[in-house]
Amino acid sequence: MYDVPNSERTVTATDTKIAAKGVQVYYGDTHAIKDVDVQIADKTVTAFIGPSGCGKSTFLRCLNRMNDTIDICRVEGDIHIDGEDIYDKRVDPVQLRAKVGMVFQKPNPFPKSIYDNVAYGPRIHGMARNKAELDDIVESALRRAALWNEAKDRLQAPGTGLSGGQQQRLCIARAVATEPEILLMDEPCSALDPIATAQVEELIDELRQNYAVVIVTHSMQQAARVSQKTAFFHLGNLVEYDDTNKIFTNPTDKRTESYITGRIG
Amino acid sequence: MPASWIFLIVVVLAAAGYVLARGRAMASAGGDQRRLHSLPSYYGTNAAMAAAVPALGLLAIWLIAQPMVSDLYVSSGLPEAIQADAGERSLAMADVRRVADGLDYAVSQGAMTREEAANLSVSANDIRERLGAVGIALGSDVDETTLELAQQYRNLTNTGNTIRTVLVLLVALASFGAAYMMTAKDFRARNTVERAVLILLIAAACVAILTTIGIVFSLIFNTLDFFSRYPAAEFFLGTTWQPSFSGRGGGSELGFLPLIWGTLYISIIALAVAVPLGLFSAIYLSEYASKPVRSVVKPLLEVLAGIPTIVYGLFALLTVGPLLLSAFGNDGVLQLGWMSGGTAAMTAGLVMGIMLIPFVSSLSDDIINSVPQAMRDGSYGLGATQSETIRQVILPAALPGIVGAILLAASRAIGETMIVVLGAGAAASLSLNPFEAMTTVTAKIVSQLTGDGEFNSPETLVAFALGMTLFVITLALNVLALWIVRRYREQYE
Repeated sequence: MYDVPNSERTVTATDTKIAAKGVQVYYGDTHAIKDVDVQIADKTVTAFIGPSGCGKSTFLRCLNRMNDTIDICRVEGDIHIDGEDIYDKRVDPVQLRAKVGMVFQKPNPFPKSIYDNVAYGPRIHGMARNKAELDDIVESALRRAALWNEAKDRLQAPGTGLSGGQQQRLCIARAVATEPEILLMDEPCSALDPIATAQVEELIDELRQNYAVVIVTHSMQQAARVSQKTAFFHLGNLVEYDDTNKIFTNPTDKRTESYITGRIG
Repeated sequence: MPASWIFLIVVVLAAAGYVLARGRAMASAGGDQRRLHSLPSYYGTNAAMAAAVPALGLLAIWLIAQPMVSDLYVSSGLPEAIQADAGERSLAMADVRRVADGLDYAVSQGAMTREEAANLSVSANDIRERLGAVGIALGSDVDETTLELAQQYRNLTNTGNTIRTVLVLLVALASFGAAYMMTAKDFRARNTVERAVLILLIAAACVAILTTIGIVFSLIFNTLDFFSRYPAAEFFLGTTWQPSFSGRGGGSELGFLPLIWGTLYISIIALAVAVPLGLFSAIYLSEYASKPVRSVVKPLLEVLAGIPTIVYGLFALLTVGPLLLSAFGNDGVLQLGWMSGGTAAMTAGLVMGIMLIPFVSSLSDDIINSVPQAMRDGSYGLGATQSETIRQVILPAALPGIVGAILLAASRAIGETMIVVLGAGAAASLSLNPFEAMTTVTAKIVSQLTGDGEFNSPETLVAFALGMTLFVITLALNVLALWIVRRYREQYE
């Protein structure tokens, strides 16, 4: 159905990075996520697909406890990262979020220079002992986000002055600068044009070497292109979770088939 | 016919025009609204505006222009000697107008017949007494020239009023007639009304701008008058403020520096109190407080803004002053002896600072709230704590607005009068000690203008020079604020 080279399909690492069991999320009276079990592998791109409002972004935001900032949101069940319960009382969400980076749907660079945007995380976590080290961190983060060549001459220019695609890559650079182990991406390309999207997708593929990447996307082509594992959400349920190849060529569930062939959603 | 009657007639005409034009438009479309170019109400509004706007505009201009024109015309009849001096000329014209108005009033009260008023003569009638009988008190007996000019003035005014009535009503009718004739189903009433509304809005904005210019001009002539009587260098560079009302200007020293020093000193104390307190409470309210807390605390804070400044003045005089005195005074608990009386720059500054808290907090709160949630998410997503997010992301993003809020508070502080009068004392001094009595430019403007000095003396006119200088300073402050805001906007948005 989707023309994807098979060589991309092989899941390189099988270590479980995130294990979720019986996760329920409530927004006030709304039951947004219903009993989701999922195991996300390290050094793999996992895509969450599904129609709008199906709960994929909500579930993503559970993984770094971003839902904590929403008053009416309540999360039940177990989510373990590296075998540790992240909803345990002893876990500091601030430290968790340093380990689980996040890139948002709309590029949201801070009203600071490009340099300060990337240096933001390393500075608050005290990752650099001196200016030279910080310069190195910023440079390597910008290189990994494929922004270094465009930005190296204007590091002190405001990050908000970049184009949309550059801003999103800046946000990715900002996220990787804190050396996270997991990168969550909430529809990172929905505000970008096709060229910028292609650049970001290439980047995601490279990030897979070092991180577990979880990406929420509305574009099934994108899920097919960048991910090795795909989870299909529908009305708050995790309907099907399998190798991307399998989901897009031979889905088990009728609803998955309907969605990827465009009949529901 | 008095202007209020004309106004009413025009308004009634406009209302009638609305109904008529709407009806005509509907009739031209055969009663089917869908065949009209615009909604029926637009045709009505168009006709109503055509009837009212030009006529009322003409009326307004006439009301302003007629007295000026009559004045100019009548004053040419005054003796040359009086005409030469602007002050005497305006005094003489004031007499003329007063007699003219008095006669009109007497006629309208029935104390005089119209003919009687027109044929008065100085030798035969005691005009002062007769006018006094109907409650118009004149300062002196009416001489022949004044009476003659007053009659001339009355005639001019009467003719002017008649022409005014006819002209305004004619304009209203003609303009309405034209609009009514144009009303047909294909007439683009909506476009016409939209354009007219735009022009009305522009006119409203212009009134505000023209008023500002008018205020400047009203100050500028008296200021120039002051500088022609008192050297500018001594005013701007003088370090002593010692007006003497009795010495007729001879012994007065009107140095500006001690007053502006007091103004700035007290304002800085006030801002030092208001900015941290206001900003911190704004941060608490917008970032930390839960909804129920916010809904109680925010209105409570804003109550501070509604307290009249005279009440703050009393608070300064009766509570804060004595409290400070008991701590820093000669017999105070700290044994410092810095303060010799309850009224001091510190007293006024502290109380003014409390008054300004809601200005800073309320505006900053709105500005902090308007920083997009995406900024907070981005920062939390990188593992920043709440206070790191506020310090490093939210406050920089909100900075232009916060600077604006602070400068607004500064303008209020500089212009504040009542708290200063009651809290800071009246002595103008160039002192560094914040526990000493000081005074400000505004407080001195009040005392100079309410004093019993002659209006044409430098001691009184200095008030205008002070006002003008203060205006320029606050203007410069606002320009600075605009510059800061724009500079950061360019960088951040």
